[in-house]
Amino acid sequence: MTQREIFFVANEVNELGGVGRWQAQMARLLAERGHRVRIIGIAPPEVAMDIGEDPPFETLTLYDRRPPGRRRPRFPLGRIDPVVRRQEADMRVAAERMSRLFRAAASGAVIVVTQVWAMEWVAFADTAGHPVIGMSHESFDASRRSSRFARVRSHYKDVDRLLVLTQEDADRWVAEGLNNVGFMPNPLPLTPVAPSPRTEKVVASIGRLSHAKGVDLLLDVWAEAAPRQPGWILRIYGSGEHEGVLRQQCTELGLDDSVEWAGRTDDVTAALARSSVFVQSSRGEGFPLVLLEAMACGVPCAAFDCSPGVREIVADGEDGLLARHGNTSELARHLVRLMSDESLRDTMGEKARQNVRRFAPEVITRRWEELFDFLER
Amino acid sequence: MSIDTPEAGAAVPDISVVVIVYNDARRLPAAVRSVLDQTLRNVEVIVVDDCSTDGSYGVAQQLALGHPGRVRASRLAENSGGCGEPRNQGLAVARGRYVMFLDSDDTLEPNACRNMLEAADRTGADLVSGLCVRVHTDSRHDKRVPWYPWLYRSTRTVESIAELPDLFVFDTLSTNKCYRREFLVENELTFPRGIHYEDLLFSAQAYLAAGRITLIPNTVYFWHVVEKSTTKSISNRRHEINNFTDRLEIHRRIDAVLDQRGLDGLKLHKDIKFLKHDLVLYLRELPFLDDDYRHRFAELARGYVQDFPEEAYAELDRVHAICAHLLMREDWENLMPAVDTLINRNKISAPLVQREGRVYWCDQYLDDPKARAVMDVTGLGHHGKPLEGMFLRNLLTGYAVRGDLVVLEGAMVNPLHTVAADADLTAELEFRARRRSLQMFRFPVRTVRHEGERITWQAVVPLSARFRPLGVVDEVWDVRMHLTADGKRTTTRLTAGRVDLENAASVPVQPRLSRLVADRLEPQVSAKGHLAFRLTQQGTAARHGRAVVDRNLQGPAARTVKGSYRMLRAVRRDLASGARKVQVYHRMLRLLPVRKGTVVFESHLGRQYSDSPRAVHEELRRRRLPVTAIWSYSGARPEGFPEDAELVRRWSWRYLRALAQAEFWIDNQGFPLRLAKRPETTYIQTWHGSALKRMGFDEPTHRVMSEQEQRSYQEALDRFDHFVVRSEHDVRTLGRAYRLPEEKLLRTGYPRNDVLVRAARDHRAPDAELRRLAERLGVRPDRRVVLYAPTFRARPDGAVRAFEFPFDVERFAERFGDRYTLLVRSHYLNRVALPPSVADRVLDVTGEPDITPLLLLADALITDYSSVMFDYALLRRPLVFYAYDWEEYSEDMRGTYFDLLQEAPGPVARTEDELFAAVSDLPAVVTQYEAQLKEFVDKYGEYDRGDAAARIVDRFFGPAGEAR
Repeated sequence: MTQREIFFVANEVNELGGVGRWQAQMARLLAERGHRVRIIGIAPPEVAMDIGEDPPFETLTLYDRRPPGRRRPRFPLGRIDPVVRRQEADMRVAAERMSRLFRAAASGAVIVVTQVWAMEWVAFADTAGHPVIGMSHESFDASRRSSRFARVRSHYKDVDRLLVLTQEDADRWVAEGLNNVGFMPNPLPLTPVAPSPRTEKVVASIGRLSHAKGVDLLLDVWAEAAPRQPGWILRIYGSGEHEGVLRQQCTELGLDDSVEWAGRTDDVTAALARSSVFVQSSRGEGFPLVLLEAMACGVPCAAFDCSPGVREIVADGEDGLLARHGNTSELARHLVRLMSDESLRDTMGEKARQNVRRFAPEVITRRWEELFDFLER
Repeated sequence: MSIDTPEAGAAVPDISVVVIVYNDARRLPAAVRSVLDQTLRNVEVIVVDDCSTDGSYGVAQQLALGHPGRVRASRLAENSGGCGEPRNQGLAVARGRYVMFLDSDDTLEPNACRNMLEAADRTGADLVSGLCVRVHTDSRHDKRVPWYPWLYRSTRTVESIAELPDLFVFDTLSTNKCYRREFLVENELTFPRGIHYEDLLFSAQAYLAAGRITLIPNTVYFWHVVEKSTTKSISNRRHEINNFTDRLEIHRRIDAVLDQRGLDGLKLHKDIKFLKHDLVLYLRELPFLDDDYRHRFAELARGYVQDFPEEAYAELDRVHAICAHLLMREDWENLMPAVDTLINRNKISAPLVQREGRVYWCDQYLDDPKARAVMDVTGLGHHGKPLEGMFLRNLLTGYAVRGDLVVLEGAMVNPLHTVAADADLTAELEFRARRRSLQMFRFPVRTVRHEGERITWQAVVPLSARFRPLGVVDEVWDVRMHLTADGKRTTTRLTAGRVDLENAASVPVQPRLSRLVADRLEPQVSAKGHLAFRLTQQGTAARHGRAVVDRNLQGPAARTVKGSYRMLRAVRRDLASGARKVQVYHRMLRLLPVRKGTVVFESHLGRQYSDSPRAVHEELRRRRLPVTAIWSYSGARPEGFPEDAELVRRWSWRYLRALAQAEFWIDNQGFPLRLAKRPETTYIQTWHGSALKRMGFDEPTHRVMSEQEQRSYQEALDRFDHFVVRSEHDVRTLGRAYRLPEEKLLRTGYPRNDVLVRAARDHRAPDAELRRLAERLGVRPDRRVVLYAPTFRARPDGAVRAFEFPFDVERFAERFGDRYTLLVRSHYLNRVALPPSVADRVLDVTGEPDITPLLLLADALITDYSSVMFDYALLRRPLVFYAYDWEEYSEDMRGTYFDLLQEAPGPVARTEDELFAAVSDLPAVVTQYEAQLKEFVDKYGEYDRGDAAARIVDRFFGPAGEAR
């Protein structure tokens, strides 16, 4: 295995959130394999995440304060607009710091650009012949509905490889005219030692209490499912801005007796150990790690088929049950099936535990290394 | 000349690309370059020259010298005449793990090799195939057309070609593919020698031998083509027929392989494709060939196609099957018009005959029952069409140039004698430029004669004198003929074929930009077989002038002009765009005052004058209240709207002004969501039916919307100031789904149902208007009326599915026709094709604007899941439910609010027999379900009391003043 210098270039080194956690985990995994990993952030984090006292990778942040958004050239000046020119000059200065590192890196080095905003700086830098890998950590549909769509298409057009989360998302980008697209799933964030015993009659939901996570839909689902399975409770982990409204909805639906609001949790494994079924009713997802975690713990999942990421992780009917997006009745039926049939829970739970191994950290790290080798051919 | 072998120990290339060349020294470097520039660097190029005479081999050797280790060149000792042998030779010396093929005039996409390799290594496929894009090198705008893109929508892997028969029959290219070299060697796969269409056989064998095939959606290959802007000559067409022999030979070889492996399913798929696609290509040429060639072709085709199984023909659509049938019998007279319809899908090309209630293509072949079935075109529905709705075949029978006059003669088909013998006939020819309709020239047709099954005509066109094209942007001109018979107009194109246009004389013309750009007008035939004219340059001055123009059209000055022209066009489009209109509308809201007393009405998004808004309007009129009624209509012309109302077209500026200044908005489906409502306007939503399926926020699509989208939707719903309901069921379903607060609900019942309630109460004989309606529709007074009003079915993508009778309408007519007239009302987007055999026993009333009079007329209703059941129930007449697909319907995305099977106030038939049984004894249905019907009305229509319109008018327009 070739030992390489690997640069991660992201918006921030350690911003709290999914991408930040992924980046810290991936950097650690690669560093543990013997590569020299450096994380370069463009701006300082708004809400910092703890990456440990002595992480196995180096970090560098280019700016002291978050730089302003990209100025658009004003008509009729166009490209010669002095405001635009000034900003680009600033960016070039910051990018030069990266260029020095890139130029000094030995042959075999790789540059991974985690987010598209960061790519704007890498575009000004001298990548010294090292392959550049771009990444998009959300589903194609999520990108399409945001300003990132146009930016991905223009900034990632010429990178050596653009990695998205699933094959399906990759195909959608190919349809948009990008021919350098591949996919790389996120690794399992944890490796549970023992699976959940699946003894408690609890259906667990873990996620932020926000519109995107669809907890209001979950309550409607539970309203249909709970009456058919008395004795079971729904335990909702997580906190968020919608908590008050959701609690009210719960009361209105008469579900106070069968719903527990467990608040935020930092120990997902422990939470899953105390449940037998996992449910997710999100309106949209990229590559939902919490599903991976549930499956790794042997807890069978019922979820809305809301994005390619969900389909990639769960094989409907084999290691979990998927309902059509937004069809609360169907999801309720799936929950009832799982709640009422212990042997089904056990079979699916076991299958899930096995199937999810393809996302194990070692497997994903190997895939990254193979990709690095591949790009050199 | 043998090829250099690389030194031992050199790295094994991942992919070997075999580039074949024959007399193409100019483009060869670009092809090779496209491989050397691949993002995958570990590739090798093997150039094989098919013994060229133009120095191509020299170029190849130079490239090999310039890139040692990456490019090798070799040459065949003598020309092989095809692509096969050069590729075989390249394959023989290739060293790569995988092999791809590239023609010297094409190029690979820069990431092609990397993407193919990635897919191949990841999936372990023997064969990877990617998207090929045809690049029209001579087109103005770099036209690119993907080749069978629907096969390549997503990445997929299959373990055998049998899983993807479409791939087998449609994508027969060998160039957009990457083959594992060992796989080719083990299976001894090579290209055949000395025959055309080598790709077909090679691809078929490779597909069949492959143990795993992967498809990728990426563009991998750019296939450069020169679009033949000049049309085919007779010799081209004859050449194609000559090639047909080769094509059949290859097909026979493929059939042998399929037969050997017992792959009947694949063979059937291939046969179907041959009939549907390959044969058509040749049929199009037949009108232009002489009988000799036609005969040869028919013989060859017959020899091959007669062994096809029956099932292959079953897949053909009507016109196609007719063409095949006529071809086998060499019936050229009837075949040529059929081919015209094959190419121009909705054209009626034959006079058609009607026999025993069905319509046939021609009157021959009707004795044999199988042939009769083939010739039966009743399903095409031509017999129901009015002249204005027909696209007719108009054959050019004569073309002559006399000085500067062009004499055109033709014969237009007159199907089923639609144009009467005594009709008043006039016609004119219209010349219109194909690109951008800048000008139009019209010339009268002086002679038009009715000759029974055809209408013949002759026109003398003074082209030289009166035809003045611009000369530069309008090279090609299409010709159409407009025929008017008794005031009804139909437009036709002139079909060439009979007349030899290739050797026809051209006419001198004088364009507005002078004869320096073009000086002659030549006839030509379009791709669809229609007559068109082209401006050409004959004299030296014209030819030179044109060359100058062409050079400048691509020059920088022209580009600037084109740029500004395009910008202006974009600005104009933007001004007329919806977004701009919405912007201006919101400004109107701020600046314009409210006009008291104005009411804007709309029914079903402007489609008709109908439903509850109409009922309210009629009540206002009856009371002669001083209200200014403005009705919105959509479509080109308003039909069926009252004369005394002001009419505005939906989304026109007048419509927006009217909405901005109205005191009341009254509609039944929702004014455009993006138009905000000012507080001074009162919006009364009368709605259009109680809900069976989930609506509004109960519907999954709305539930999963983002917060932003849900907010916009809520804002649109908040515009309603009042919402009419007819039951507490409505309150629980629609009220909740649309999040309507209690104070907005109007528990008055539907104004449109007032007349139904009164009819049930008063039991009077139908009034004069109803009798007139019955007469107009053609309902016999001695028969009772049954109305069949099903709801529409949606396709998975949401579009409305085409209407098909779920029961045998002819059987129905036979069994009940003497007692009942069946009125059929399908969704307004559907067309109902009724065979003439049921005429006057079954009537299509889909086009009727308002369903309420039809309900009054109907003595019984057959429906499935349409909300019309809630309204018809008010009449207390028999309701029969034909729920042949209830499980499918209720399980689909939207979900329902109630279980029809439980609540139905009438028999629920699941099969045709059950349906007929119910209809055969309607009085029994009445007695049996009387109690249930009453319960149903109480539950779902409790507020329909017959005075809804009155109550609404009282409340908002009464002397007490409007109350919001």
